[in-house]
Order: sequence, then structure tokens, then C-alpha cells
Amino acid sequence: MPAEAVRMEGIVKRFPGVVANAGIDFSLSFGEVHGLLGENGAGKTVLMSILYGLYQPDSGQTYVRGEPVRIRSPSVAIRLGIGMVHQHFMLVPRLTVLENMAVGWEPRRGPFLDREGMRKRIEALVEEYGLSVDPEARVEELSVGEQQRVEILKALYRGAEILILDEPTAVLTEQEVEALFKTIRALRDQGKAVVFITHKLHEAMTICDRVTVLRKGKKVGTVPISEATPEKLAEMMVGREVVFRVQPKPVQKEGKELLRVEGLTVHDERGLPAVRNVSFSLFDHEILGIAGVEGNGQKELVEALTGLRPPKAGKVYVGGKEATGLSARELAQLGLVHIPEDRQATGLILPFSLAENVVLGRHREDGFALGPWVQLRRRIFRYAEEAVRTFSIVAPSVRVPVQNLSGGNQQRVVLARELGRKPKVVVAHQPTRGLDVAGMEFVWEKLLELREKGCGVLLVSMDLDEILMLADRVAVMYRGEIVGIWPREEADKHELGLAMLGGKVAAR
Amino acid sequence: MSILSLDLFLSALRLATPIAFVALGETFSELSGVINVGVEGTALAGALVTAIVAYFTGSPTLALLSALAAGAFLGLLHAAWAVYLRADHVVSGVAINLLVTGGALFSTRILWGWRGTSPSAATMNPWIFVGLCVLLVGLAQIYIFRTPWGLRLRVVGEHPHAADTAGINVNRIRLLYTVLNGVLCGLAGSFLFNNLGRFTDGMVGGRGFIGIAAMVVGNYRPLPSLAAAYFFGLVDALQMRLQAYIPSQFSIILPYLLTVVVLAGFLGRANVPKALGKPYLKEGR
Repeated sequence: MPAEAVRMEGIVKRFPGVVANAGIDFSLSFGEVHGLLGENGAGKTVLMSILYGLYQPDSGQTYVRGEPVRIRSPSVAIRLGIGMVHQHFMLVPRLTVLENMAVGWEPRRGPFLDREGMRKRIEALVEEYGLSVDPEARVEELSVGEQQRVEILKALYRGAEILILDEPTAVLTEQEVEALFKTIRALRDQGKAVVFITHKLHEAMTICDRVTVLRKGKKVGTVPISEATPEKLAEMMVGREVVFRVQPKPVQKEGKELLRVEGLTVHDERGLPAVRNVSFSLFDHEILGIAGVEGNGQKELVEALTGLRPPKAGKVYVGGKEATGLSARELAQLGLVHIPEDRQATGLILPFSLAENVVLGRHREDGFALGPWVQLRRRIFRYAEEAVRTFSIVAPSVRVPVQNLSGGNQQRVVLARELGRKPKVVVAHQPTRGLDVAGMEFVWEKLLELREKGCGVLLVSMDLDEILMLADRVAVMYRGEIVGIWPREEADKHELGLAMLGGKVAAR
Repeated sequence: MSILSLDLFLSALRLATPIAFVALGETFSELSGVINVGVEGTALAGALVTAIVAYFTGSPTLALLSALAAGAFLGLLHAAWAVYLRADHVVSGVAINLLVTGGALFSTRILWGWRGTSPSAATMNPWIFVGLCVLLVGLAQIYIFRTPWGLRLRVVGEHPHAADTAGINVNRIRLLYTVLNGVLCGLAGSFLFNNLGRFTDGMVGGRGFIGIAAMVVGNYRPLPSLAAAYFFGLVDALQMRLQAYIPSQFSIILPYLLTVVVLAGFLGRANVPKALGKPYLKEGR
């Protein structure tokens, strides 16, 4: 048995409204690559941030090389030989590789930075681990893969023997992933302990020696890779049981096509295709769930459908009319509304009052406006008060800024506004994210109510349970494509989980 | 030409010196991520304190040291507001300018019964400041780009989070360089008094702001900023000579107008530190 590098026992970490880690045990040996696998929000990054000193656990004990330790800050972690490569690199683009690696641990010659000495140390590291970089290059001139190498070298330069890689492949191309895996194997063979955080099954299967699976803040189990199969890991990640807390009622469908998407391709900020040639239809009295791991193009798809991002190719029809590239306001006039993913950033204007937020974007409509004037005092206040009643919003008055409301009540304000437009199609993007149970149930009931009234709801969610509970049909997005659409009765959680993680599925 | 004489260049050197001190101070604080528009007021405070101490003690050296202390105090005040209490940097700087302007009127009135001016007092040779300025700028250039502390300073202003994960105390570094900025502004003000021999409340006359402009034109580097300061000083010296030929109301506009024009050309290209003006909060929740 190789030497133990890290042991974490009963780690608990609570954030307001969420238990991110509910008593997790984790152990790591030198000379192994330990995969930390789980869906978004499973608690992987939080657990490792605790090990790196970025968060303090509420309870639990960490041991490094068998010694009990309290890691109060990253500098303590670094002194213990722990290094972390974050998803967002800790590099200054304008400085050189050498300067970025040296900062905080500068070799000196008299009062000066010893550039020559630093260069020699980098060259020694480069040789030892087979990672090539030019010490004098500016970081901004490097590719993402090269920047990641600099981060790994930086950790090694600071003496890391325990290396945490937080979703290191998320930003890499296929070739870069290959090179990274080679590096990781070299590190393991040198006796380092490597934690590999991921939600991609095949990567875990390829590179890890052991895999620990987390689900919703709890540890499901640790398995050696020799005993793991993709099916088994997928099941551990998503679970088997679906908990039903609300029940869709049977409805009479008319078969009207409310939303049609044909060959839609959307690019992300970097100009790379995030949604690739996606086609689907949404009918009346229907909730279509879009499941998938975050970052597989859901955000770009929603933005393209709701007028926030122009699509590169393809067509969108709302209620039979072509709606490709229309603005959010024009889409709303066609009956398509949007419940955005981030209510605080996109859904609401936090310092504005509840009443102002309830009519936001509708302030031009008759009843709210008289010529160029917005009719705050009369109609809008009365309308907002009615919304407070029908959506059971708890607020001292309609004049309070929405930033003073709880998350659940903020979401009700968003729902009150969007559903008040009498929509035909509702695009709901993670509508229950960050809400407590009561808040979630309220949102679920409202979505089901829309379905009963004949609306089409496109429910994009990272929570597979939520989709299986509400949706009539389930589509799975992976790498910008819809890899399959299943009627709910035929949807098997296990199979969906595998599809979400890029496992092979029989397309339907 | 009678305008382009040796005298013109000597006068330009003197006029440029307070601008160069402020530019150097602001370079330090902005590289660490702290904007301080209070440099104008801080320089005025330096001049005022020099006048007061020189008048009552007759010691120009003591007066200079007091001016440095006053600058350090205002730097500390700005750091407390902007770094630790996370106030808006510009608002805090403007508050310092207003505070000193009012304080100057008040104290000249109380001490000498005059509105915004002092009687003349003991001075030291202003050329000492001109030489000191060149020396400090040279040292700063080496310090910022060749030493470990300079590297840390640059990382703090660009990517405080990276600095923090490298074990660097971001807020302490910001405090330190904001105080240093105050000290250098105090030096600028002290020079202004020693150059003229008395205090008047308009004696800084925008040179603090022009100092910030010189820093931007010099792209946050001490030596190029010094060159920019000399340029502004030359224009100022030139406009004084031009007053013999054109109405002074017009010629006096020249340095300010030129500042606006030059800035418009340089501002977009400057390597502004990424975290400039943003308070740093640790990630831990």
C-alpha cells in the first residue's frame, strides 16, 4: 500500500440554503490519480477548495501525510505541498511565464529578482516532467493548453506533491487533453498524488486509478478503476430513484406545434460552436425537458431562443411564424417568454422596486403607459399588488427594492412578470436553482399549471430528477448536440445519465 | 529666437518637477490597483504644511519632513476608505481634494488672517527637488521592473486573486503604495512652496491632475512618465513666455488643452492594471 497523502474525515460545509458537503470522507495516496466524479453542484470543487484552504469546513478533520492539519489559507496549503490548478487560471496575462511562476517565491540575487536562476529552475522542471514552455513568453500569447501547463509548473515550482486539477479538460482541445493525460501519468509515476475533478465518465475511466463519486453533497462511494464500468459510475452519479414531489395531471393534447427549431447552430463568446445543428419541436400542453451537464450548450441554446444571442445558422418558428433572430420584445409579442437562469443578474434589476420589476419590459403596454409617461402610481401599483396576491409573494410593500426579498420571492416576481404576459411558450432555464424546497414546489406547480392551460414549456435543467418529475419528453444535450429525445414513460434514469455523460446510447 | 533660451529649459525643469513627483506616486498606487485623484489636494496639503512649519520654525528641513508626513497621512486616509472600507476610489479622492481646499482657506485665515495665502518663509534650494526627482524616478524604474517587490506590486494590481493564492497580502500592499503616493505628493507640494517662497491656495493649479495624465501618457512606467512630465513642463514654460505676445487668458489654457488632447491619444492604448479601482474580497464564504 503506497503512503497516504491526504485523508479527509466527515467534512461538512454549509452555504446559505445549501449543504455543499454533508460529511464527506476522502483519501488520497501518493502515486495515484484519484478521480472526483459528480454532477454540477455535487460538491467536488467545494471539497477540494477546503483542502486548498479557500474555504473553511464547518466540521470535519483533514490529515496531510498522516498529520492532522488546519488549512487556513492557500499559503498554508502550499507550504504543506498542496497545489491547485483552478478552472480559471491564476495567471497575469501581461506578465511573462517566468514572472508568473516566480511571484511570491522569487529567487533573489541581492535586491534583484534572479531571472537567470529562475530560468534554470524552470528548465529543470520542464526536463523532469516533459512539459515544454518558453519562460520568456508572455502568458497572453500562449494557448489555453500552454497556460494550463504553466499553472501545473507553477504548482510544482512551489513544491507541490499533491496536485488538484479542477476540471482541467473543460477548456482543452482533444490533442491538448492527450498531452495533459501524458503529463498526469508522468506526475503519478514520479510519486505525486493527483486529484482529477471531472464530470466526464470516459476521462475518469482513462486516467484515474480510483474514483470517488459525489452526489448532492454526499459521497456515494470509492471504487478502484479495475472494478468500475461506465454504467456503474453513471448510476452512482445520478442515482436510481426519482423522488416525486409534484405530479403532472393527464391532459388532452391538441398536437399544435408551438415552437419549432430547425438545424440551429449557435456560437459562444469565443466564436466556437456551442450548439450544433439542433432540431426539435415543442407542442401544446407539453413540458419538454432538456437535460445535460452544465456547459454543453444549454446556455447558448436558451439565449438564441430568447433573442439574447443571434444564431449562426438554422431557423426558429414560434406559433408557426418564423422568429429567427428576433429581439426579446418581438418574441414576447409572439407569445414566447423567458425565465432566465440567473434571476439576480438577468431576471431582475435588484435596486428597482417590486412594482417596477413586475412591469419591466412591459412598461410600454397600454395600461402601464400613457404616452411617454409610465403610470407608476395608479395602474402599476395596483397591478403589482394583484401579482403579489396571485403569486403569494411575501413583501412588505410593492415599493421595496427586490434585492430585499428572499430568493424564492425574487423568483416569484420573475414568474409574475413573465407569466403575466399570457405566454404560449415559456423557456425556463434552471428555474429552481438556489431555491429552498417551498420555493421549488411553487415553481414546479406554476410550470404544471401552464402545461394544463395548454402552454408549451421548455425546461432546461441540470437536475435530472426535476426533469423526470415534470417533463412529458426528455431531450439530452451533450457537446452542443441533442443526442436523443425520450418520452418520459420510456426514459430510464440510468440510460439518460449515461447519455448526459457522453456514453454511447441508441439514438431515438 | 528669444523664446527658446536656456532659461526656458531651466524653467521647464522646475515646472515639470511637481508633475513628475505626482506621476511617480500615482504610478505606484495605480499599479497596486488604487486610483487616487486626491493627489491634487495632497500636493496642496504638502505645500501648506511646508509653509506653516517653515514660517513657525524657520527650518526648511523640518518643513519638508512635515510635508511628507502630511502626505502619508492623507494617503493613509485614502487607503482606509478605498482599500479597507471599499469606498469608491474617485469619491474618496475628491473628498480629499475638498477637505484640503477648505482646510487651506481655514488655516491661512486662522494663522495669518489672510485668505488662502501665507507670508514668505525660509526655503531650501528648489534644484535639490529637481535632482531628487530624477534620482527617485530612476530608482523606481529599477524597483518596479527588476525586484521581487516590484513584481508583487504588478501582480496585485493585475490579478489580486493570483497574488493572494501566492501568499501575498493584497490589501497591505495596496495600503503601502497608497501611502507612498501620498508621500510623493507631499514632496511635490513642498517643492511648490520652496520654489515660490510662499503659499497660495491656487499654487498646485491642476498639476496633480496633469501628473495623473503624465502617468497615463508614460503608460504606468516611471521613466516615460518623467519624459511626459517634462513635456508638460516645457509647454507650461512656453506659455508663460507667450504671454508677451498673445493675451494671457489664451496662453494659460495651453497646458490644460494639450493635456486633454494628448490624453485622448494615449488613454485607449495604456496598459491599465486589470484590477484598478476594484476592491479585493477574499473568496472564502
